[in-house]
Amino acid sequence: MNSPSEDQRAAVSNSSTDSLTEAESLAETASPGPVRPEPARADGRRLPASVLTPPPPAPSPHLDDYRNIIGDGPLDALRFLARDLKGKSIKMVNSTAVGGGVAEMLNRLVPLLSELEVPTHWDVITGGNDFFEVTKAFHNALHGSPYELTKAAQEIFLTYNEQNRERLQFGEEMVVIHDPQPVGLIRSGESSRASWVWRCHIDLSNPDAHVWEFLRPFVERYDAAIFSSQSFARQLPIPQYLFYPCIDPLSEKNKDLPDAVVQKICDEFGVDRSRPIVTQVSRFDRLKDPLGVVQAYKLAKKYVDCQLVLAGGGASDDPEGAVVLQEVKEAAGTDPDIIILDLPPWCALEINAIQRASTIVVQKSLKEGFGLTVTEALWKGKPTIASAVGGIPNQIIHKLTGVLVHSVEGCAFQIRYLLTHPDFAKRIGASGREHVKENFLMTTNVKRWLLLFRILDRAKSRRGFGR
Amino acid sequence: MRKPDKPFYFNTSEHLLRIGRQKAGTLSELWQALQTCPDDSIFQHTFRTLQEHHFIRQGFSNDFAHWCLSACNEPVLAEQLASVDVREFTAIGGLRRRMVGIVDDFLQQHSRSGSNAAHEPFYFCAADIVVLPTPFSPDSLPGFIDGLKQVSVHSIHHHFIEARLRLHLMSNDFSQWLEEEVGLSHAAAAIERIDIYTNTMEGVRQQIATIVEHALN
Repeated sequence: MNSPSEDQRAAVSNSSTDSLTEAESLAETASPGPVRPEPARADGRRLPASVLTPPPPAPSPHLDDYRNIIGDGPLDALRFLARDLKGKSIKMVNSTAVGGGVAEMLNRLVPLLSELEVPTHWDVITGGNDFFEVTKAFHNALHGSPYELTKAAQEIFLTYNEQNRERLQFGEEMVVIHDPQPVGLIRSGESSRASWVWRCHIDLSNPDAHVWEFLRPFVERYDAAIFSSQSFARQLPIPQYLFYPCIDPLSEKNKDLPDAVVQKICDEFGVDRSRPIVTQVSRFDRLKDPLGVVQAYKLAKKYVDCQLVLAGGGASDDPEGAVVLQEVKEAAGTDPDIIILDLPPWCALEINAIQRASTIVVQKSLKEGFGLTVTEALWKGKPTIASAVGGIPNQIIHKLTGVLVHSVEGCAFQIRYLLTHPDFAKRIGASGREHVKENFLMTTNVKRWLLLFRILDRAKSRRGFGR
Repeated sequence: MRKPDKPFYFNTSEHLLRIGRQKAGTLSELWQALQTCPDDSIFQHTFRTLQEHHFIRQGFSNDFAHWCLSACNEPVLAEQLASVDVREFTAIGGLRRRMVGIVDDFLQQHSRSGSNAAHEPFYFCAADIVVLPTPFSPDSLPGFIDGLKQVSVHSIHHHFIEARLRLHLMSNDFSQWLEEEVGLSHAAAAIERIDIYTNTMEGVRQQIATIVEHALN
């Protein structure tokens, strides 16, 4: 795999995680830090020693490792698509080699494409603090925050894009630029035979008009753009494709686990598997509405026995997170059936086990990007109750692949209903898993990239060289 | 029954979803956009969506019906749109006219519903399609059954549902081959009658295999 060099790791780091949800902040590839003092559980009990230090990174899976998951047909289709692209290569460019959902995704995607003999090279742009500040401001503005776009900011953006354009080589047949930070690199595309694609990972449904008008002329010069949701797309004169965010079914977060492992982790956290378990996995963040989940649990508990697990992180590193965690603890009071876990970001295996042990998974967010925690739960066959926000309705078709709710009361009712109708719960859980298998797995995205590469390459051949 | 002159080439199709330029926020806007959107948009939201949701046995027939129910809260219109069987059509134009007609009739009777804002817009999409071969090209009935059991559900969808738009016939690739190459007219007719709206695509596969195995025996 051709991954960014050490020099390139000293790059501008603007995480594009907002539209990829907190699943990325709990990513197993998060950089390990020093061992922290042993944290207490929010309910006073100690977290097990096994979660105090980051585990070594797991080896990347190979393509054949996915055969038992997706089957021979889809795997053969990948190989056939790739064979058609023999001798051609891809360049991926983003703003950071470590941390954030885009880097995590490229860490998986690049080796798989290369294994399919479509050599894929990954470059990272570099820049100074001034560029970092401007692109962070752009990021927020594109999400709808008001921003005064100054001439100075534009100059900084253009200058660093030009510096990177002169530094980087673009000899590949397809060049993919991720997110707004490097969008100006398209100037290299003007004299290039390659197909240039802009992959936007953020929510562009309500951008600051001035920033978008500044960036739009760059975007329009690409051969195609990719968005994560129909609602994120803009009116552009180029084709716009839909690539959903995806999960890796072989990652620590999603791989199958022996029941003994699930049991051990539940025992360590004091979760009683002999009784129903309702779980929300999220940062302690107001937008995830953990207090609403506690309320829904209390309403449901009048009718059905269950435990509530709130597993998340961020409280230790985020002042607001600490406040939210305290509020959740107060709301939980002395109820022994509310289990609050403030976990370090490397606890992917533990999250996996807790999700697998759960009877129902809840994602009662007030706002959401795509909602990959929902994808994870659906993949594990868990009946899932979630808010109809962000990308969640793309994943949960109400009463078919999960249930959508709009209030605390709605969530409480669905908890009661699913716990008392296990056949229905099992059916929607199974359908939810199939929905993920069809649309939201890493291998599906590999296929999308190969299809796009093929379609653009043939279109370019028909038109002849030149933009 | 006779030995086929030509093998059956199992193909599959893969799709890349493109976001269109049109969207609808009300039933009136849906009605207008249904008349003007590209053919491949109608195809995506009717034929193709069956493939995307192949695992659902009940309650999902096409994207328009689903949106009318989930975003517009119009169950009557949703049921009427859901009742449209795409296999009645050998060309997109006819399917489009049927959909437009249903929405038009509904709005005539419920004029106030036309301007109610939906919970979320309907985004018209389309798919770029690539047809791929598979390793299966049987020239015998046992080989056909074996291939049928091993190909992906995408292949089943390609041959059983999308085929009629290619063939411009009220039929599918399996039935055509069984009738024309093998002489199994009854099996061909039985396969054509399988209800895709009350079965998953896996269920459809199993029914086709059962019918052909029965004919073989």
